[in-house]
Parts: sequence; structure tokens; C-alpha cells
Amino acid sequence: MNKDEIENLITLSSDLRWKIGDDFHDSLAEGIYADASEISNASVSKDNEKKKFRLDAKIDRIVTSKTWGFPIMFLVLALILWITIIGANYPSAMLADVLLDIVHPFLKGLAAGIGMPWWLDGFLIDGVYLAVAWVIAVMLPPMAIFFPLFTLLEDFGYLPRVAFNMDYLFKKSGAHGKQALTMSMGFGCNAAGVVATRIIDSPRERLIAIITNNFSLCNGRWPTQILIATIFIGAVVPSSLSTVASMSAVIGIAILGIFFMFLTSWALTKTVLKGEVSTFNLELPPYRPPRVLKTIYTSLIDRTLIVLWRAIVFAAPAGAVIWLISNIYIGNESIAAWTIDSLDSFGFLLGLNGVILLAYIVAIPANEIVIPTILMLTVLVTGVTGGEGAGVMFELDSVNATGDLLRSGGWTLLTAVNLMLFSLLHNPCSTTIYTIYKETNSLKWTTVATLLPVIMGFVVTFLVAQIWRLF
Amino acid sequence: MENKVNSACETCPQFNAKGLKKLGVHTDNIDYVVALAGNPNTGKSTVFNALTGLRQHTGNWPGKTVVRAEGAFEYNDSKFKLVDLPGTYSLLSTSQDEEVARDFILFGKPNVTVIVVDASRLERNLNLVLQILEITDKAVLCLNLMDEAKRNNIKIDERTLSRDLGIPVVPTSARFNEGIPDLIQTISEVASGKIICKPHRIKNVPKKIEDAVEKLSTEIKKQFPTIPNSRWIAFRLLEGDNRIIKALKTGEFA
Amino acid sequence: MNYNPTYALLIFFGLVLISYLLFRPKSGWFWVIKNNLKSNEKIVIEDVLKQLYHTENAGKDMNLHQLSNSLKFDERTIVDVIKKMTIIELLTFDGENLKLTDSGRDYALRIVRVHRLWEKYLAEKTGFDKMEWHDRAEDMEHKLSHEETDLLATHLGNPQYDPHGDPIPTKLGKVADLEGEFLSSLKVGSVGRIVHIEDEPDVIYKQILAEKIHIGSQIRVIENNKERVVFYAEGQEFVLAPIVAANITITLLEKEESLEENMARLSSLKDNEEASIIGISKESRGDSRRRLLDLGFVRGAKISIDLESPFGNPIAYLIKGTSIALRHDQASKILIKKGIENGK
Ligand SMILES: Nc1nc2c(ncn2[C@@H]2O[C@H](COP(=O)(O)OP(=O)(O)OP(=O)(O)O)[C@@H](O)[C@H]2O)c(=O)[nH]1
Ligand SMILES: [Mg+2]
Repeated sequence: MNKDEIENLITLSSDLRWKIGDDFHDSLAEGIYADASEISNASVSKDNEKKKFRLDAKIDRIVTSKTWGFPIMFLVLALILWITIIGANYPSAMLADVLLDIVHPFLKGLAAGIGMPWWLDGFLIDGVYLAVAWVIAVMLPPMAIFFPLFTLLEDFGYLPRVAFNMDYLFKKSGAHGKQALTMSMGFGCNAAGVVATRIIDSPRERLIAIITNNFSLCNGRWPTQILIATIFIGAVVPSSLSTVASMSAVIGIAILGIFFMFLTSWALTKTVLKGEVSTFNLELPPYRPPRVLKTIYTSLIDRTLIVLWRAIVFAAPAGAVIWLISNIYIGNESIAAWTIDSLDSFGFLLGLNGVILLAYIVAIPANEIVIPTILMLTVLVTGVTGGEGAGVMFELDSVNATGDLLRSGGWTLLTAVNLMLFSLLHNPCSTTIYTIYKETNSLKWTTVATLLPVIMGFVVTFLVAQIWRLF
Repeated sequence: MENKVNSACETCPQFNAKGLKKLGVHTDNIDYVVALAGNPNTGKSTVFNALTGLRQHTGNWPGKTVVRAEGAFEYNDSKFKLVDLPGTYSLLSTSQDEEVARDFILFGKPNVTVIVVDASRLERNLNLVLQILEITDKAVLCLNLMDEAKRNNIKIDERTLSRDLGIPVVPTSARFNEGIPDLIQTISEVASGKIICKPHRIKNVPKKIEDAVEKLSTEIKKQFPTIPNSRWIAFRLLEGDNRIIKALKTGEFA
Repeated sequence: MNYNPTYALLIFFGLVLISYLLFRPKSGWFWVIKNNLKSNEKIVIEDVLKQLYHTENAGKDMNLHQLSNSLKFDERTIVDVIKKMTIIELLTFDGENLKLTDSGRDYALRIVRVHRLWEKYLAEKTGFDKMEWHDRAEDMEHKLSHEETDLLATHLGNPQYDPHGDPIPTKLGKVADLEGEFLSSLKVGSVGRIVHIEDEPDVIYKQILAEKIHIGSQIRVIENNKERVVFYAEGQEFVLAPIVAANITITLLEKEESLEENMARLSSLKDNEEASIIGISKESRGDSRRRLLDLGFVRGAKISIDLESPFGNPIAYLIKGTSIALRHDQASKILIKKGIENGK
């Protein structure tokens, strides 16, 4: 085949098209539908028309009604979180018992038995193994509960209704209604949420959805929120109310995230991603009863595999790094101690401290390990003994003990509140950053999506800290 | 038509069920490539899972699948690679979210395209079916969600439908594994050439456009004599589809 | 440590204020300086050509003074540029008046082509607000090369008209014609179709947009006098001042076409009504128009309301057996014919 011929072909098509005029596409689309009608009329027969959709219609009237639409959405979210939080406690404690209290000493003993050099033993068992164990103990249970619940909701057909209800708010902030769907996916995992934005067909609105997905509190961050809320927020109210108070705090943070998502979407539309709100069209599928057991079974297996894989790929090297920076000395200070010192005054401005900031740097690959890193580093700087030595990651068994340790590291209620805020507003984890890059194919937008939330986190925690200290 | 000697029991259901081996993700040494296309939320991923034994995510909302997934199964000693595609409403537009599916149907050169449709919304689904039939002449219509159609008192005359479309039609309820053996059997017969399709071509096109398409498609056939879908390419050229223009220039169609 | 939260806050707000002044959209100092560095001779030449082209097309004359009044550059620059343009034979003087030469006309046509194609592109493929199309196209018309322009045209399917209804010159300079009369000059009772909406000046264009008047709509003039022009279109009455109406061009309907009397916008459909679709307004463009067609919003399809969202927008419509949610502004671009109430 010949280049000129092809050019001729294209020119011919251009000329023909110009002659046909602007209604080419419409005529073609109508033509196809006309064929479709003829064919379906010939083979489809319907008995009584009106019976269709009846139960669906009833459910729909309620879940999208002016009075009940939003309360039901809120309740569903609260219920899922509540079941996740309560339900995750027991398996978490059990896994921690086994992995940290039984297997860890056993491995240590084994290492000593075969005469492993102290640094290799520290590096492998105290670094790598503990990081993985902690992630499994703390992360796996909430994920294994949250995801099946979410999948059940998804299978039932509720998610499109959420998008339908919330579209007006998205429209106001210049975004696409289907962003509600990708936002919901983000509550599980931001990387998954970012991939799901492909359902948004306008590039501008898709970018908005990608950049703001990080404001959905992902599964790697729920446990941090829950732990800190339990220790510090639960403690300021009478103990009978402490569960309710800490849970409300966590839900509050999640909703604050939704608020920031709208705010950022709006700000982006007004500045760098200017444009008119494009169209929104969403098919509302019929409700389908979910197959409970099968869903639970498959999403359990899937989650377990994914979490294990992530733990090994990301948490293990991070654990190793933690151990290394706490055990390599420059002069008479370890790298970790030196970094913490330099970050401390900036941390103070934000109502946080150097330990937290360093922990967030170390935990870029996996948000899951923020808390154990903080604990370990706190031991390092305060010299309080409660843990197992320099660079050994651990979680103290009781929540009270953890609280005591943190308080001795200088933590106040302000530190706790700001940590919760910062855990909501900081850079996405490295998997998500990589996914954003793959999806946008642009360094610029990946950078924006990475830095924007941290900057917002700095600003918000800074303001909270100053105002807190004024009063 | 290819002449193959069939053993007597090849058409009996027991044999069908036994001839199937789900191969999961092992897609090497493949004999045929099968694409799963269709509107969003019609059960493509559910069919995919039923055939390959994989656990591709499904969900009751349009747009659950956004990247293509591959799996394989073996049937009567032939290996099939199955490709699950994101749902699309049409192949006519150039919108990005439909790109993956569009590109695979057009350029992935599947041996068989299984079009999964929602039996209770046939008319709306036929919009895409008719477009796919312009592109390929080896297709199977999988009339999925038959249980819902039944519940809504919708009856479909499969023989008329199959005659009108010129391709085999298989009713299924993928979620309950109903009709899947039949589907496999039909796929393998279309793949091996035992069933020859005579796909329907779009008729209700205004004269003005039909003339232009005719002219253009004659030219295309001169350049690419082996091409089965010159009419579709003509439609797309008139639309100014950059992807198609590029494909012509690089000779992807040859 | 001499740290005081009040100072910290003050410094912070100071920084915020400075960056606001620097980078605020449009009038931020940073942008102002950046824009001032940009204008150059090529832009002035092309703007002069375009201005003359439009004046000549309207059958009017233009002298140097009028020209410099109609452009935003200072007089000195314009005089310099015009001198140069006569030397390279893009224009000549006919007494007082400036005239385009053949090559000047070709050049102008090319600029117009880019401008209108770019507006078409913005309308079809991007989400920019209508009010921004013109300015962005003004910018772009100086930037695109020949090849890029032709590629763009092919990609857009060689459109004949831009989104305002102006014809787009082809590569060879062919221009489809635009026939019609201004709305302000039509007699009461005339029936026609809106084929063009002028996008300059801004103030008037804004008013037309605010009324949600759509290109391609069929209209019937109900009243026309010095105070106001009233017309009926798509089930609604529209009232305009005559100077606003003068920016809308109408072609009268041909014999075989008749005005659809019961035509209405889908957005006016009530809960218990059923309707059939007549078509999609020209105002709905690009991918979103295509998507509507794909979803079955084609002529003859039956449609009714399925659900209203808590805020009343979007609304889900039942069409071809499926419930599909659309926002109001999209629904207002779908034209329907209301039928019998189905009395739920
Ligand atoms: N009742 C019934 N439900 C089904 C059947 N097949 C699939 N489903 C359900 O329909 C929904 C959509 O199925 P999917 O397989 O995710 O659909 P899909 O075509 O892959 O959708 P996209 O990936 O969004 O294009 C799920 O909730 C399935 O459980 C069936 O035969 N009967
Ligand atoms: Mg799927």
C-alpha cells in the first residue's frame, strides 16, 4: 500500500464529509437505533408492561427522597464504619498476640540459637519482620471487614444512587457526579479510586477526581484515626461516652475529607482546571440482591492476598530503613535522632513534632506503618523504656500504655487532633502516586496531586495550632 | 464450511461440561482469542469468571471494569484466551472511557467476539451489537440476565433474533451458571468455522450518507483488498476519527 | 523561645495576601506582566487583516482612524504596521480607505478559519464556558500552523459552521453561505430557525446566553416593535430588546418544513407526563451530544420521569427500558413533544 493513496483516501473522506454537513453523526446514530427497533420489535414480546420496576421504584423513592436521601447515606456510612471498627478489634488483638508476642520472641530465640550476628538479626527480625507483622495485625482485619461490606453495597446497586443524590453538590463545585463513585472507592484504597476515575469521560473532570481522591480516607489511614481518637479524644469525655466520642471524631474526619474534596474541586475549577461543568449521565441499574456468602468469601481472599503482598513489598523495606536510620550513627547521634531534631521546630509550628514528620517521610510507601514508626521513634528520643530497643518497631499491647508513652513524648490533645488532620491531609502513598502518574501520564499533574494535599495539611494544622494556642 | 467429523456425543450436555477446563490466568499456547464486549453492567465480567474460574471484580453499576482482563479456558482440546472488556454504549464516539474496548474490538483481532446483552433491555443494547457486527463477522450474542427478563415478563424469540442478526444467540443467566455450557459450545463452533455468521448490516442510513460511504469504501477496498469491514472504516473516516486515520497510515489494517 | 501565635498568624496571612495579589486569576500582577511581554507585530498584522475582512464582508469601508479605534493597540503601532503591510502588499489605500489585496484576503481568511475552527474545537471537545470561547480563539488564531489547522479540521470532521453559526472557510478558501435576516427585522408571525448568534459585543452576548436561547431552535415571532421583540420557541416565550434581537440571525422555514407547535424542552416535563423525543438541540455538542444519542435519546423514543434527586437536579428519565439521570441544562437541550398524561 502506498502513502499517497492513503492521503488521497483521507482527502476524499474530508471532501465527502464536508458535503454531507454537520448532521452526519446524528443521522447515523438514529439510523442504527431504527434498525435496533425493528429487530427488537420482531423478537421481543412483553406481557404486562406496568409490573416492571415496582419494588425497585419503591426503594428508589425512599433512598433518593428529599427527606431521607441524605440521612440514609450518612447512616450507611456510619454503620459500615462502626461495624469495621468494632469488628476489627478482636482479630487485631489476636493477631498481635500471635505475631508479636509469640512468633517474634521465638524468632529471636532461633536467631540467637544459630548465632546470627546482632545486626543481621536486628535488621531482619526487628526491622523487616515486625513491620510486616504489624501491618498484618493492624491493617488486615479492618480491610477484611470493610471491603466485603462495601462490596455488598456495590452489588446491591446503591452506589449509583449515591452519585445521583450527590451530583448537585458536585455540579456546584464544578466536578462530575460520577466522582461520588470514585470517591467511595477511595474509602477503600486511593489507588483503586484513581483507576476508577476512568468512568468519567471528560478529561478535565477526571483530573479533578484524580487529584481529590486522596481526600477519601483510605484503609491505610482508618486504623491511625481510630487509635489516636481512642487514646486522646475518648479520654476527654466520661468513659461511658468514650467509644461514641472517638467514633464521632473519626467519622467527623472522614466527612471533613469530603468537605475538602468539594472545596479543592471547586478551587481547581476556578483556577487551573477552568471550564464549564460538562455533562453527567448515569444509568441507574435495577437493584440486585447480593450473594452474601460468595461476596464475603471472594473479597476476603482478594483482600488478604493484596494486603499481604503490599506488606511484603512496601512495609518490609520501610521497616528495614527504620531500623537502619536508628542504628547508624553520625558523630554521637543516630540519623533518626538528628533528623528529628532538625524537624522539631517546624513540627512545633504545625502543632506536631519532629517524630511525626519523620514517621510520615518513612511511611510514604505505606501509610499503615505510621503509628508503629512514631512509637519507635518516640522511645528513641525520650529514652522511655517500653519498647524493645533502638529501631525496633512495636505496638504496646494496651491502648493505655501507648497513650502514656506518647504523652511522655510531649503529646497533648492538640498533637492528637493535628495528627488526625495531618493523616487526612498529606501526600498520597507511593502506590497511589505511581497510579496517578500512569493514569494522567503527566509529571505536572502527578506533582500537583502529590504536593497539594501536604501543603493543605501544613496550612490546616498550622492554623489549628495557632488558634488553639491563642486560647 | 469446514467439514469436521463430529462424534455423536459432542452435542450432549455431559460432554460439554466435561470438555471444559478452566485455565485461569494461563494464556500461553492459545488457539483462539475471544473478546467479551457489551454495554456496561450487562454481566460481562460475570461471564468471564464463569468461563475462566477467575475472580474478576463485578459490581452492580455501569463502569465497574475499566481495564481489560485476560484469562483462558480449554474446550475439546482447543485453548481459548478470553478478554474481558470495559462496557461501552457505542463505538461511534471518541470518548476516552470507551477507548480500551473500542481499540480491542477493532485492532485486537479477536477470533470470536461475544456480545453480552441485557435481555430485558434488548433494543438499547442492539445499538452496540449492530455496530460490532459492522466490524466483525464472527460473533455470538449472549443474551444474559435471562432470569430478570423472565421476572419482568419479557419473552424473546431467539430464533427470529438469531436470523435477523445473522449470528448465533445463546440465552444465559451467568450469575447462576445457566446457559454457560451452551455458550462455550457455540463459541468453539464459531471459532472453528463450523458455524458461519452472516451478520446484519445497518440499513436505515440516509441516502446522502450511504452514497458517500459506498464511494469511500470502494476506495478502501482497492487499498486493502482483504479487509472485512471497509464500510465501518468509511463511517469512521467520515467522522474524522484520528485513531483510524493513524491506523490507515501505519497499515494496522493490512 | 520568642514565639507568639499571633505573630505566626500575621506572617501567614501576609504571605497569603502577597500570593493572592501576585497570582489571582486574570488581574494578578504576575499574569499582567506576562501578558504585556507577549504582544508582537505578527499579532497586530493579523488582527488588522481580520478587522478589514469583516468590514469588507459587511460591505462597509474603513479608514485608518476607524481601524485604530476598533483595535486595542495604540495608534503608533498600528500606523507602523500598516506601512509594512502596504510594502508586503497585504493591503492598499483606496483614497482614505484601506482595502485588502488578494493575498491579504487569503491571509485573513486563514486567520478566520483558525479562529472559527478553534471555537468549534472548544465547543466540541472541551468544557470551557461559552463566554471564554472567543477570547481563547483570539489567542489561538495567531499560533496554529497550516498543518496543525488542517489536522484540527479533519479531527473535527471538517465542520461547515462554527458554534455561533458562522461559516468556517475551507482549506481552499471556500465559504458556505449564511442566509437569513436579523430577528429584529422580522414581521410578526414569521416562522424560522435561529442560525447564528453573534458573540460580540460581550454585553449583548451575555444577555442572549442568560436567556438560554439556543442556536437551531425553531421560532415564531409574536410581537415586534421599538420596545421589544417577543418570540415563541420550544414551548417558551422569549422577550428581547431590539438591539439584542439584532444580534440573532434567522432563516425562514422552507415550505415543506413546518413549525412543531407542541415542541418543548425535556426540562419542562412533569412527573406524570409522557413524551416522545423530537431531537437534540444544536446547543448540545461534541461528546456529550454523542453520548446522549448513544444512550437512546433519539427521535421517536418515548420518555418519562423516573426519579427526582433530593435537590431536584439531576432527574432520572425512563427511556427505552432504562433509568438514566441527566442534569437540567442537558435536559433543556433535548426537545420533546408532550403526549397524553399517563395518569399515575
Ligand atoms: N440476576 C442476574 N444478575 C446478574 C447476571 N449476570 C450478572 N449479574 C449481576 O449484574 C451485575 C453486573 O455484572 P458485571 O459482570 O460486573 O457486569 P459487566 O458487564 O462486567 O459491567 P461493567 O464492567 O461495568 O461493564 C452484577 O451485580 C452481577 O452480579 C445474571 O445472569 N442474572
Ligand atoms: Mg465488568
